[in-house]
Amino acid sequence: MTRFTRAMIVLRAFWQLNWLEELQYRGNFVASLLGTIFWLVMAMLTVSLFFRHTPQLGGWGYWDVVVLLGIFNALAGVVETVLRPGIGHLPTDVRSGALDLVLVRPVDAQFYVSFRRLDVWRLADVMLGLAVSGYAFVQTGRAISAWELLAFAVTFAVAIAVVYAIWVTLMSLAFWFVAVENMAALFDAVFEAARYPVSAYPGALRFLFVYLIPIAWTTTIPASALTGRLNPALATWAAAVGVAALGASRVLWRVALKRYTSAGG
Amino acid sequence: MHLSPMPSAIVATELSKTYDVKVRDPGIKGALAALARPRYRQVRAVDNVSFSIERGDAVAFLGPNGAGKTTTLKMLTGLLFPTAGKAQVAGYDPWSGGNPFRQRIAFVLGNKQQLLWDLPPEETFRLNRAIYGVSLADYTTRRAELVELLLLGDLIDKPVRQLSLGERMKCELAAALLHQPEVLFLDEPTLGLDLEAQQTIRTFLGEYRRRHGATILLTSHYMADVTALASRVLIINRGRLLYDGELSELVARIAPIKRIELVLSETVSRARLEEYGTVAHYAPPRATLEVPRETATAASTRLLTDLDVADLSIQDPPIEEVIRIAFGETEQDAEEDTVRTDVQRAPP
Repeated sequence: MTRFTRAMIVLRAFWQLNWLEELQYRGNFVASLLGTIFWLVMAMLTVSLFFRHTPQLGGWGYWDVVVLLGIFNALAGVVETVLRPGIGHLPTDVRSGALDLVLVRPVDAQFYVSFRRLDVWRLADVMLGLAVSGYAFVQTGRAISAWELLAFAVTFAVAIAVVYAIWVTLMSLAFWFVAVENMAALFDAVFEAARYPVSAYPGALRFLFVYLIPIAWTTTIPASALTGRLNPALATWAAAVGVAALGASRVLWRVALKRYTSAGG
Repeated sequence: MHLSPMPSAIVATELSKTYDVKVRDPGIKGALAALARPRYRQVRAVDNVSFSIERGDAVAFLGPNGAGKTTTLKMLTGLLFPTAGKAQVAGYDPWSGGNPFRQRIAFVLGNKQQLLWDLPPEETFRLNRAIYGVSLADYTTRRAELVELLLLGDLIDKPVRQLSLGERMKCELAAALLHQPEVLFLDEPTLGLDLEAQQTIRTFLGEYRRRHGATILLTSHYMADVTALASRVLIINRGRLLYDGELSELVARIAPIKRIELVLSETVSRARLEEYGTVAHYAPPRATLEVPRETATAASTRLLTDLDVADLSIQDPPIEEVIRIAFGETEQDAEEDTVRTDVQRAPP
């Protein structure tokens, strides 16, 4: 059995378990769905408030910004579905020593920690976000080419990779500093900035979001693909950024794991 | 050199592990000072430990809390890198053996659980089947065997959160054995369990080893675990291996004693108690006597008839006592040791 098929079998087992677990908490689903709808409506109202005073935000029209907002919501959904319950739980596992039980198993620990839990209901956030993007796209009145659709799919995958890499990086700090739960709050605060196109920010912040905390690649680029702002060069760069972010986070994970001396030893 | 047809299941060669522990004075001032200029103290958790265990043997690793048992187990399972030394487990180097190595071992920790809290144990079993790549046929046979030997019955269909500690531990063991590991590491498997559950687990481990020829290395600080499961013991204290040999020899060496713990309703002088055995502790109304194993029952009967006794119990000496009696370590030795390590402050 190859490593890949083995990983897929484990992933399927995780999914089955999560469905079983989540079915016990259907009430959660309604609450989180209502929360997301409320959030989306509020966000769209805020944006329309901006547009009473200006026809453009960093060169983006109203419906263009709503396309981006939908992508932001879909990514936030990915965070809630996979990252927060999975890798976000790493600091607790390090502190309690529960990570030991993962490390003695014949499975890649980063894979295990990252995908062991899926808050399946939050997938609704992803759907809802993409639906809002789709609706806003129709409102822009543009036609989409096959290549633009492909570019969107690729850059959206890159966005997920970048967000994942940021989480792995932040959570790996647990191996050095043990108590890093607040890193998740830090991510939430900074990720808020991805609600608007990066061109709407002044130069220094733009530099920060493109090069240092690469959240510009998460929403602005996929939204650019849908609003005719993405050129092939930028799309290639985006793919490179995604691969580099994943690679860097993998290296950091390995270094961190080497350092790991389990709690209570 | 003697060549055996099969290599040993576990070989540890001069294993050592030193931790850097941050030291700080108590209080806010101490915390601030530690933040500004951290000081470290080196703690030798495991000091030059060597032993080897043949395939199919069960060996108990005994020692008081903090003796280095768990650290040694974590090194042998590949969780911790040693500061010095080598090891071989199931034919692999634990630190580079990767998944093929992990496939051949199981590590059960009495104080940590792998069972999924909200679901029945059966679901964790299924997950483990996927992780260890166990075929459905093997899974079905092994599951049936484990259910039978561990007396699990319908426990595996109840959510884990509804199970008692003992029931959970039995299910933990089953979950850890579905891939039929060659070497089984158990860290305090009976910790905090009621006597019945302890007994089931002991019987089970013995039977499982006989059936499958698994090698077992378990840590405990209960003498009862050892007498039931292992004929050979390793005694470790403050990181050093003090004894490696037959359990019977050790028992002979400690000149088998029992402890009688007394609560008295009347005031009895220390001298008077000395008539019944060696007084280990005397703090009226409580007292502890040490008596030879064979005469423990007789001494208790005499105590009960002669004196006004409110409560009496006969116990095995705690493992700390065994070590003290067998190896003549005194409290003073322990203090000197602490002072010495305190002085060795390493730069960060």
